[in-house]
Amino acid sequence: MARRLLIPIGPQHPALKEPMGLRFRVEGERVLETHIRMGYVHRGIEQACQERTYIQALYLIERVCGICSHIHTTTFCQGVEELLGVEVPRRALYIRTIVCELERIHSHLLWLGVIGRDAGFETLFMYTWRDRETALDILEEISGNRINYAVNTIGGVRIDLTPTQIEGILERLDYLEEQARYYLELVTSEPTFVARTKGVGYLSQEDGRALCVVGPTTRASGVDRDVRRDDPYAAYEEIPFQVVTATEGDALARTVVRVKEIAESVRMVRYALQNLPGGEVRTKVRRRVPPGEVISRVEAPRGELIYYIKGDGTERPARVKIRTPTMANLVAIPHMLRDAHIADIPIIVAAIDV
Amino acid sequence: MSAEALVRKLKKALGEHIGEAWVPRPHRAFFTVRREELHDVVEALVNRFDIKHLSTITGVDTGQEIELLYHFWDHDVCFTVKITLPRDEPRIKTLTDIVPGALLYEREVHELLGVEFEGHPDPSPLVLPEGWAEGHPLLKDWSPPEEG
Repeated sequence: MARRLLIPIGPQHPALKEPMGLRFRVEGERVLETHIRMGYVHRGIEQACQERTYIQALYLIERVCGICSHIHTTTFCQGVEELLGVEVPRRALYIRTIVCELERIHSHLLWLGVIGRDAGFETLFMYTWRDRETALDILEEISGNRINYAVNTIGGVRIDLTPTQIEGILERLDYLEEQARYYLELVTSEPTFVARTKGVGYLSQEDGRALCVVGPTTRASGVDRDVRRDDPYAAYEEIPFQVVTATEGDALARTVVRVKEIAESVRMVRYALQNLPGGEVRTKVRRRVPPGEVISRVEAPRGELIYYIKGDGTERPARVKIRTPTMANLVAIPHMLRDAHIADIPIIVAAIDV
Repeated sequence: MSAEALVRKLKKALGEHIGEAWVPRPHRAFFTVRREELHDVVEALVNRFDIKHLSTITGVDTGQEIELLYHFWDHDVCFTVKITLPRDEPRIKTLTDIVPGALLYEREVHELLGVEFEGHPDPSPLVLPEGWAEGHPLLKDWSPPEEG
């Protein structure tokens, strides 16, 4: 029998993008058990929000996630707007949605590069990160920033789109759609990529549901769930789209779902731009928020993102609770790694898009 | 199914276990449950109604007591089961035996608000820094340790 060993990786380790403590109990090349410890970069944002006004907290919330900043402010703003009882202009809701989907496009392209690199397909990383620049250029053009766009504010958005900008975005969307088609063909036909991902990190539909996994990770296991359709927010009720699912439940299926979602997002942005309502982009809101509690939910690139916000009639929130999709998906990692090969650890961990 | 219909269905089936119930807007429902009955209610949700998705657990220190809000996702409704725990004895039976997805959420609430989840298989620290010994930062009477 092979020897049993305990392999610690992190919290500081060259292969990790952010600090995380992983301990693997292995026997030979097989993983028996995984233990995860987070907390090396816990910033106490929930607590810090309670010591700030709503608008100050917004700046902090823009920085919860380094990739999907806009989805967090969307969740927070729409929650506070519900507490305030204000109606946000339709044009603002459309612009919010457009930025949400552009963000999903660049987030998924970033991920596709990461999984490509982890699977030994460096060219895919080069290609997708080049194409991601197209989405980032659009975001920079309309907001002035590549990542923390600061588009949202309580009561609407801080930017408007000009007809020239819209035309320019539409042109580049065609390129992104074409590339999404190409990547779908590539990831399903490139023999080495398929060999590294097919059957790897399997999660059954039943386990996905029991572990309360979210987003593309669970949709790739056949769980047909998407907040944009099931609990529509912003302008999603008016924009046609398909929820992408797969049944294989492995790293390849997670890749296919995300690539198809890129194409779906491109079409949503196009539709929203072509059907952009006129009018104002924000309404003025009071600084004091009445007492009450709301649950605000969205579909972030990584899955369901949920905020609980409690107001007590002052200018500061009494409680802000944030549950990011990665927190929901982490619980599946030890499960997916059971009996896996050590060499597949990076792919399985990356496949939930940590 | 609308939020109202879901509340009606659950009230009919679990009547005596459900305290107050309200629907603040479409897609949202809340109901209160006595803490001793939480485990049985959630067991019924999972086994009889196939509601398995726990989105998260929110802990709130109101100053008088600790509220725990269990947010579930059933098709197009996000509904919340609310319980309250006394501040001097914040204990509740773990749900991890029926909802494996609660594993990390209970650990987080345990660390940040000091709630004990009886029977949790691994209540080890999760989110706070290693060697943290300064109490539970989301409690109202917590203050940051002096620097230096």
